[in-house]
Amino acid sequence: MIRLYLRMALKSLGQNPGLTAIMVATVALGIAACVTVITMFHAMSADPIWWKSDRLYAVTLDSWDVNEPPDAARPHLPPPRLTYRDAMHLLESNIPERKTVMYVARTSILSNADRPPIAAEARFTRGDFFPMFDVPFQYGGSWSVADDTNAAPVIVLSKEVNETLFGGDNSVGRIVRWNDREFRIVGVLDTWEPQPKFYDLNRGHFEMPEGAYIPFRWGPQNKVTSASGRCWKPEPLDSYEDILGSECTWQQMWVELPDAATRERMQDLLDTYTTEQRKSGRFQRPQNNRLTNVPQWLIDQGVVQNDNRVLVGLAFAFLAVCLLNVVGLLLAKFLNAAKTIGIRRALGARKGQIFAQYFVEAAVVSTLGAALGLALGALSLKGLSIMYTVDEATRGGYRELLHFDVSSVVVAIALAAVATVVGGFYPAWRAARLPPAVYLKSQ
Amino acid sequence: MSGNIRQVVSALRHNRIGALLVAMQIAITLAVLVNAVFIVKQRMERTSRPTGFDVENVIAIASAGFAQDFDYVTTLREDLAYLRSLPGVIAATASNSVPLGGGVGVMASLAARPNAEVHSLPGGYFEVDEQGIDALGVRLVAGRGFEQSEVEPPADSITARMPKQIIITQAFADELFPNENALGKTVYDSVDTPVTVIGIIEHMQAASADVAYVDRVSLVPRQPSSVPKNFYLVRTEPQQRDVVMRMVEGRMSTSNPDRMISWVRSLEEVRRRAYLADRNMGIFLVTITALLLTLTALSLFGLATFNVNARTKQIGTRRALGARRGDIVRYFLLENWLISTIGVVLGCVLTLAASYWLTRKYGLPRLDLIYLAGGVVGLWVLGQIAAWQPARAAAQVPPAVATRRIA
Repeated sequence: MIRLYLRMALKSLGQNPGLTAIMVATVALGIAACVTVITMFHAMSADPIWWKSDRLYAVTLDSWDVNEPPDAARPHLPPPRLTYRDAMHLLESNIPERKTVMYVARTSILSNADRPPIAAEARFTRGDFFPMFDVPFQYGGSWSVADDTNAAPVIVLSKEVNETLFGGDNSVGRIVRWNDREFRIVGVLDTWEPQPKFYDLNRGHFEMPEGAYIPFRWGPQNKVTSASGRCWKPEPLDSYEDILGSECTWQQMWVELPDAATRERMQDLLDTYTTEQRKSGRFQRPQNNRLTNVPQWLIDQGVVQNDNRVLVGLAFAFLAVCLLNVVGLLLAKFLNAAKTIGIRRALGARKGQIFAQYFVEAAVVSTLGAALGLALGALSLKGLSIMYTVDEATRGGYRELLHFDVSSVVVAIALAAVATVVGGFYPAWRAARLPPAVYLKSQ
Repeated sequence: MSGNIRQVVSALRHNRIGALLVAMQIAITLAVLVNAVFIVKQRMERTSRPTGFDVENVIAIASAGFAQDFDYVTTLREDLAYLRSLPGVIAATASNSVPLGGGVGVMASLAARPNAEVHSLPGGYFEVDEQGIDALGVRLVAGRGFEQSEVEPPADSITARMPKQIIITQAFADELFPNENALGKTVYDSVDTPVTVIGIIEHMQAASADVAYVDRVSLVPRQPSSVPKNFYLVRTEPQQRDVVMRMVEGRMSTSNPDRMISWVRSLEEVRRRAYLADRNMGIFLVTITALLLTLTALSLFGLATFNVNARTKQIGTRRALGARRGDIVRYFLLENWLISTIGVVLGCVLTLAASYWLTRKYGLPRLDLIYLAGGVVGLWVLGQIAAWQPARAAAQVPPAVATRRIA
């Protein structure tokens, strides 16, 4: 039966190709707009490490000025980074299964005798960073706990940096110069591009990960300053020691907590610590110590921009207009076929059969529209990534983000189904309800 | 005329749903159109704010020294001597920040009295030398520029006190000293260092387009710090910019092995990057709105055509009874206008609801009702244009149709 209806639908659509084209194009436009915007929105709000989301927590403490919150737009949040002294204290805890404090160096130039130097950011972090965030290695691996303790001059390079400096060879064991100091390479990462860059959202939400990783302690021992940080207290910051002892926040801390019990113990530790510190005049704001999991962290740090939310609303308004348009066209078309329907009814077709026949016709329009819409969506995403390309040389940003994935296809199919039901139901129902006799008379 | 309306209304009753669907399209289109135009207007105002500096002719260069024995002071001297020697260069300065392009330590607060007494005002902070004003191409409206002897060496810590002289923008001066002339006055930095205002520039934007203090800028006579990088701002004669840029890129990237030139960009390019998101949002909104208007016009056209076809006989009868062609055209235009009006009335409610949501949730300013009025008139006109051709076709129906049995 369905095959008959399909044949009839195709025949009917073929009889009026102009109208068919308009309907298909309208559905396609609406679906394309929605698929594009939803893909963008989905990519931005995606949790790039969802399989560990219940174990990874960002640690934040509210050590800020008693008179004003660190961010007036989000006054309920503590600053996203810790002071050096707080980070060092919390790092001593054995509650987390894995833990790291980290920061990005202000200056970072990598060189090797054979090739011109390159600028690639360097992250000072503990060896736990790699297993904690499931960072894949192409060659070698993370450094040892002893390297962490001894501030060993060892380094892990990203795949890209290794390609630029060593032509993609296995460079483990070789020497690279970072800011003109010698480091021994212990590992080279494989492709690793978490989007958004959840573990450090301080300078751009969709940037590429750093090009080099160095044991944390090496940084402060060699007075490496941070690329990002914020201070609130008027205090002297003339020497590096001043910065280490200051209220400036510049350390990012992440912990891996395997279960709710350790999470509770960790929270207790934070609260006990700040209560203790409060006695010496620090932490004067209301107690606000947080262990934030990745999805919440992405929300707190405002990864999805307001512009994008407005665009989602806009795309759905657009789809609504497209559907209204198609309903109107289908309705007009079906009612124009009143005579044919009358004859079919007179020859014994039941209302349900008429309904099914015209509903199938609407479904064919929606399906064609969805297919065309997907193609249009792919094109417009391509256009978007060109619009968002700041320059050809730099990677990262929206450019890497905007590509089609399975979810885009799922969205398109779902929207097509909605379009069929919303767009086809009423016209088909009206067609089925036409009284046969009236339209037979004039024949 | 009122008889005409009654006829139209009774005809509309026969295709209620068709008319209602189109009215709803008009309603949504109006809501999108009005709010989109309003948002785009704001973005355009933002991106076309006067910069105060010479956007067309200034080049910014980012230089990062990295070698252990990097000699920053010599590098600065040699770079500036090289840049100033180039043909077509008007002036060059080293700087800690790039207007609209970020930098290092780009903000500093100033207060008209010591900090204990008043709240200090944050503003953009540029460390420049005696050629700073010429290199930026900003206009000095009072006082004087810096002298070579006043330019201090790079600060050795991030909380270094400000130099003794300062030049501020008129906007900064007006906020620090309302109703007073700021020239010659003393201002205080965040650690209460007294600094004398020796000059006032007409206008200049800070290192970020997104800050509230974008118009409040101060220039101080000091060489920038080398960590993590310093910048050069070079102003050229008109039309010389690209030639100078190519020369600079070629020479500076290899002239000193102890440092790296991170990038060389014109301030036009810097400004383009600063407003990329605004531009893109504008493109989205305009595209979607244009598509919506097209679709809605097509729907109105389709509905009118459908109605004309469905009523051929009726039109013929009316013509036979003495209606002129003009009456038929007017009849269909009136029908279209009625549908548009229902849509527009619904649309006003929807527009205000959408605008309220945007204001509440995203802090957009309240919609100016002029835009709504403009949108209503626009959609009325669009509807009449869309219905014009079908109405004309209806007028061509010959009265003889009425006498045939089958249309």
